[in-house]
Amino acid sequence: MTDNETESSIREDRDLANAKEIIVCEGVSKWFGDFQALNNVSATIKEQEVVVVLGPSGSGKSTWIRCINRLEQHQEGRIMVDGVELSNDLRNIEKVRSEVGMVFQMFNLFPHLTVRDNISLAPIWVRKKPRAEAEEQASSLLERVGIPEQADKFPGQLSGGQQQRVAIARALAMEPKIMLFDEPTSALDPEMIKEVLDVMKELALSGMTMMVVTHEMGFAKEVADKIMFMEGGQIVETGTPEHFFTNPTEERTKLFLSQIL
Amino acid sequence: MQSSAEENSSTLKAVSQRVPLWRDVVVIKWVTQLGLLAVVVASLWFLAGQAGDNLQARNINTGFDFLERPPDIQLSEGIDTSPATGGRALWVGMVNTLRMAVVGIIFATFLGVVVGLARLSNNWLIKRLAGLWIETLRNVPLLVQMIFYFAVLTALPRVTLDSGPIHGWFHVSNKGISMPRVFISDGFYQWITVVAVGCIAAYFIRNQRGKKHDLTGEDTHAASWAFLTICTFAIIGIFVHPIFSFVGEIFAGLATLFENIPTTLVKILIASVLIFFASRWIRNFFASRRSATGHLSLIDDDIFRMVFVGTGALIAIIVVISWTGISSWILNSGRDLFQMLEAKFEVDGAARPFGAMKPDIVKPGKFANYGINGLTMSPGFAAVFFGVVFYTSAFVAEIIRGGILAVPKGQIEAGNAVGLSRSQSLRHIVLPQAIRIILPPMGNQYLNLTKNTSLAIAVGYSDIVQVGQTVYNQTGKSLPVMAIWMLFYLACSLTISVIVNYYNVRMKIVER
Repeated sequence: MTDNETESSIREDRDLANAKEIIVCEGVSKWFGDFQALNNVSATIKEQEVVVVLGPSGSGKSTWIRCINRLEQHQEGRIMVDGVELSNDLRNIEKVRSEVGMVFQMFNLFPHLTVRDNISLAPIWVRKKPRAEAEEQASSLLERVGIPEQADKFPGQLSGGQQQRVAIARALAMEPKIMLFDEPTSALDPEMIKEVLDVMKELALSGMTMMVVTHEMGFAKEVADKIMFMEGGQIVETGTPEHFFTNPTEERTKLFLSQIL
Repeated sequence: MQSSAEENSSTLKAVSQRVPLWRDVVVIKWVTQLGLLAVVVASLWFLAGQAGDNLQARNINTGFDFLERPPDIQLSEGIDTSPATGGRALWVGMVNTLRMAVVGIIFATFLGVVVGLARLSNNWLIKRLAGLWIETLRNVPLLVQMIFYFAVLTALPRVTLDSGPIHGWFHVSNKGISMPRVFISDGFYQWITVVAVGCIAAYFIRNQRGKKHDLTGEDTHAASWAFLTICTFAIIGIFVHPIFSFVGEIFAGLATLFENIPTTLVKILIASVLIFFASRWIRNFFASRRSATGHLSLIDDDIFRMVFVGTGALIAIIVVISWTGISSWILNSGRDLFQMLEAKFEVDGAARPFGAMKPDIVKPGKFANYGINGLTMSPGFAAVFFGVVFYTSAFVAEIIRGGILAVPKGQIEAGNAVGLSRSQSLRHIVLPQAIRIILPPMGNQYLNLTKNTSLAIAVGYSDIVQVGQTVYNQTGKSLPVMAIWMLFYLACSLTISVIVNYYNVRMKIVER
């Protein structure tokens, strides 16, 4: 409990108004063939801020979040991550990727490696850490996500919720400044969603900068500093959770909320 | 409570006792298994009897005595072109088939991997060329391809009639393709000992470098170091290999040892090894059937297996003990092997491990041909070789491409997202998963390639089928020759399957 209090006080001590802008998107557009997935998206995310991106299916949420670590390539506009612009420069891309952690909808764990090796692979080969140190870090991360006893199992032997928690630990092992979550709970059974959301809440309380694409309204209300609502590749409305859930200005947002609440 | 439970179990018992035989699953299983066995044995008995009667009525002798008799065969190529016995002739054919299969598998794999990766390339031209290669070669029947290559090769200019060495390193004519021969010379066995020592050193160096990598995290290039170590030993070995001539004396000692061991000791040794393995199998078998609480439950299939394995082991032990031939054969061949190795090490200090010779042309009789100095690929060999290699490479390429594409895109994305470079994610994520998908169909292709070499008969390459056909045309022993063919191909196929399955089981991804 005391832990939580100190952590939440870290969260309350934040000075978001004066915090550094860590992700800056300016007029980002992207097409898949003739289909425009992103239409002039501009937004900034500050250090230690938790941003939840909402919107109906096909609104471009996932495409946008995947552009931020260059899993998708934007065609127009600029994306700056911690002062590094994402361009065709491979060195910039690698620098951004090693500072941004990503959690996928389908977990994407490496099935041929044990849980411990899944987590320590990148620290060993990218950060050039000694194996012993990387494995020790893996153990403490597993402790943090609540499954220290699963270290020697293979991903195929774990439940969905456990796999997603391993995926979070794998992303954290690179000690990222930003964590991206692409619908982390959409592939999970209802009773497993909570265990993953709890880990994400703990992460938010510890002051991590997070950008979360999700359909979990409870999580958005409770944890988000800012909610962005997307529709047709555009950001329709941005605001605090109170503003968004109680007093939305846009018609489209009202329609969306009336359908899901 | 207890009495009612007892009552329950007694009624259960009563019910199970009342099951009539024709509905009892256990009885049905035993009866069908034994019945099937009886049918198979009876059919074989009947077929063999029929064949025997017919052969006798036509006065055809089915014995294997032709293996010992001198045949009237000249083989076009092989380890022995005028074999002394029919058995020797078939042996030469088997060696030719195996040689073709091994060389073919190596080259087809290499070529197939290159073409498969080319087809995945982003370069438009390379991709289309690889596609053209695959679609052309796998859609033309192998036999047609072989005959085509053979026709092209035999249409080449004839060997010029003057004998003597050739200018240049390669020579192509209607007698085939001749290239320089690199051969092992007297010092080879001493040199290979140096290389073996180098391998041991490389093993330790690799482990030590690997440990350093684990401790400090820096790139220690363990595999490159090991490779360099072996190369260094191999190069130094060329100059210093005579220091290993003493190894010959070790082999001499082993040869005398094998000469002096009594056969009874060998029998006891083999029997105890058999008993050791049988008991270990039984222990593991019981352990695998025991539940977590230690309760042993055997189903009928388990009992079948135990009966079969037990009978097999008993028969093996009885054969080993009662038939001295096996033990003395082991002793004799061991002695011969070590004596041969001893002789290989008895060379003078100046012997070189390798020699190389340029191709030459000789004219023993009316026609000129390549001499033994060069390494010559006969038109027959070349036709079969290019046929099986090109044909199989098309299938291997598709397997490689399929295997790599079958690794989900999310895996590569996850690798990118944690910051792995392209080569790192290929090495640690894509290849380990692709290999597991690629291996089983590759084993299939290796089996196909080995069996396809039997088409060599169409272009006159002396493989086991061609030699066997000549033998039975001359002796009329068609059934024994066919039996030898089938056993030979069965042995090849089983060997390949065992190797591939071993890897499949070891590499399997653990799931629930």
